[in-house]
Amino acid sequence: MVGRRAVKAATVGLFAAVASLFAAAVVRADETCNSPYITNLIKGQEDYVHVWTLGVEGLGDGSDKLVTIGANPKAKDYGKVVHTLSVGGRGEAHHMGFTDDRRYLWAGRLDDSKIFVFDLADPAKPKLVRTIADLPKRTGYVGPHTFYALPGRMLVQALSNTKDHGGVTGMVLYNNKGEFVAKYDMPTGEIGGVKGDGYGYDIGINPAKNVLLTSSFTGWNNYMMDLGKLVKDAEAMKRFGSTMVLWELKSMKPQKVFNVPGSPLEIRWSLKPGDDWAITAAALTSKLWLVKRDAKGEWQAKEVGTIGDPAKIPLPVDISITADGKGLWVNTFMDGMTRYFDLSNPEAPRETYAKQTGKQVNMISQSWDGKRVYITSSLLANWDKKGEDNEQFIALYHWDGKALTEQWRIDFAKEKLGRAHHMKFTVKPGTKT
Amino acid sequence: MKRAWAAALAVAWAAAAFAARETPPAAPRMDYTPPAPGTYRLERIQRAPAGIVLDSDGRPRPFAQFTTGRVTLLGFMYTYCTDRYGCPLAYETFVEVRRRLLARPALAGRVRLVSLSFDPTHDTPEAMRAYGGAFLRRERGFEWKFLTTRSVAELLPLLDGLGQDAVVEVDDSGRPTRTIHHNLKVFLIDPQGYVREIYSPAFLFPDVVLNDIETLLLERPFGR
Repeated sequence: MVGRRAVKAATVGLFAAVASLFAAAVVRADETCNSPYITNLIKGQEDYVHVWTLGVEGLGDGSDKLVTIGANPKAKDYGKVVHTLSVGGRGEAHHMGFTDDRRYLWAGRLDDSKIFVFDLADPAKPKLVRTIADLPKRTGYVGPHTFYALPGRMLVQALSNTKDHGGVTGMVLYNNKGEFVAKYDMPTGEIGGVKGDGYGYDIGINPAKNVLLTSSFTGWNNYMMDLGKLVKDAEAMKRFGSTMVLWELKSMKPQKVFNVPGSPLEIRWSLKPGDDWAITAAALTSKLWLVKRDAKGEWQAKEVGTIGDPAKIPLPVDISITADGKGLWVNTFMDGMTRYFDLSNPEAPRETYAKQTGKQVNMISQSWDGKRVYITSSLLANWDKKGEDNEQFIALYHWDGKALTEQWRIDFAKEKLGRAHHMKFTVKPGTKT
Repeated sequence: MKRAWAAALAVAWAAAAFAARETPPAAPRMDYTPPAPGTYRLERIQRAPAGIVLDSDGRPRPFAQFTTGRVTLLGFMYTYCTDRYGCPLAYETFVEVRRRLLARPALAGRVRLVSLSFDPTHDTPEAMRAYGGAFLRRERGFEWKFLTTRSVAELLPLLDGLGQDAVVEVDDSGRPTRTIHHNLKVFLIDPQGYVREIYSPAFLFPDVVLNDIETLLLERPFGR
């Protein structure tokens, strides 16, 4: 809070000159896949992209780190690493999320369950201001995955538990100071005729409907296992999530469990005002699923599309929805393909474009205007490919509606950084875009 | 003068992501029936901070006097705020919550509204008194307090403690403009002084707020 205090202290004497007040307005989403409670949309040009990066033994300092890269083509640092912040050790760095005021960035590790909070007062030089290390002890959960801002709070979806390191888990609520507030077990009983598996992965909120959706992946035993070994272990392969859960947001009570086989991962609500549907991709079955209300007003989940050839297990990992809700990027890890789906009819998505963007690709993040698409390579340390196929990079592509054109690519191995995973955008202070 | 400029430069970072990249949003809509009072729990998010405020008569008072003893709905504001989805939205919500509570005297006497100014320089106790007008009058046990602070220095701990951001916008040459940005947050505080809900414009609806107030009033008081 030091930086914040400094800024506020600096406002002393300015208040007398202030003659109008503007409250940052309600927004439905970020660019384009964050909590709807996050304000300060970057609708223009982002200045930086921050990459939560897994350390690799023998590569540079070997530590997990937040890597900051210049993203503004008008700046000298465009496409260059401008800052790295090592947090110490390797704990399976994975995902990140902004607080509602976008001042702080929370980042989690799936192995040691540590949460790091970075202050972005100067986004060119993020500072580590807090480490939360007691999540397992406090909650019995393991593997903080999704960081989803609520007003003044951060809702964290975990992946596993301390008891058996399986997939039964829950969500944890912290206030923005990092203090524990509450925990919520994922449902394991029957709700609406479907039994919950207790697994978790992503969170997606639709404030206008007072609903929260969750998806399901797998526990520590699996996500920390070598992928080659895992796929040969028939028993382990049974331990993947096959449900989504609809929660009433206000009460945080599960209302309905949907059967969605094959580990439904990222959840994206359509950002188009008036739309009330969400889409997800099931990793193991390579299917797109739509969550929408039926004619009777009942929320339902149904399979609406296929990604690549499911027989080849392309493994759809991250998805990114366009701001108008009419398009969806899908990265498939195994074949390194970046695919675009026309979502004009969300009941029948159509793949209209595909390009191989790497030997392995995982996360995909697009700018609000949809013109820029960033791609990173790492899925999990033990699931990434081996040898020459283990490319580690971030790449920027431009999208003109017809084709992706690469602008730059940073080799994270060559730069001795590590495995590039989740990305978030920021802008320079005082810059209007 | 130099100090003023230094201050302006120091807050330059804050102007980044706001007006220029915001488009007028669609009006928030409530497309659901909120759960009935008492059927859910509001978590203890954080304790309301300690501090000193000025009441509308200009008397220094402990902030706790306005965050304990009743269920409190508190929002930061400026008397001259004009953003549709900022202070005016909170004000309209407060007015509606007041109207409905006055129709339920059993609840009205156990609730207070608090409007606390961001701007101690402009929003003096006199200005707050003028702003509050007839709403200052205690009615059927219900109270609406219009507070300010003696200085920014005394305001800051309250902002920080509640997690309310507020930054001065600067123009292209680094001068402070007459605009301050903040995310609209309204805090629901229980009689023990714990923040139990933080509303954003996305769900600052009177129906939701009233059910939350009633939910807190249905709780068994701690210590009994």
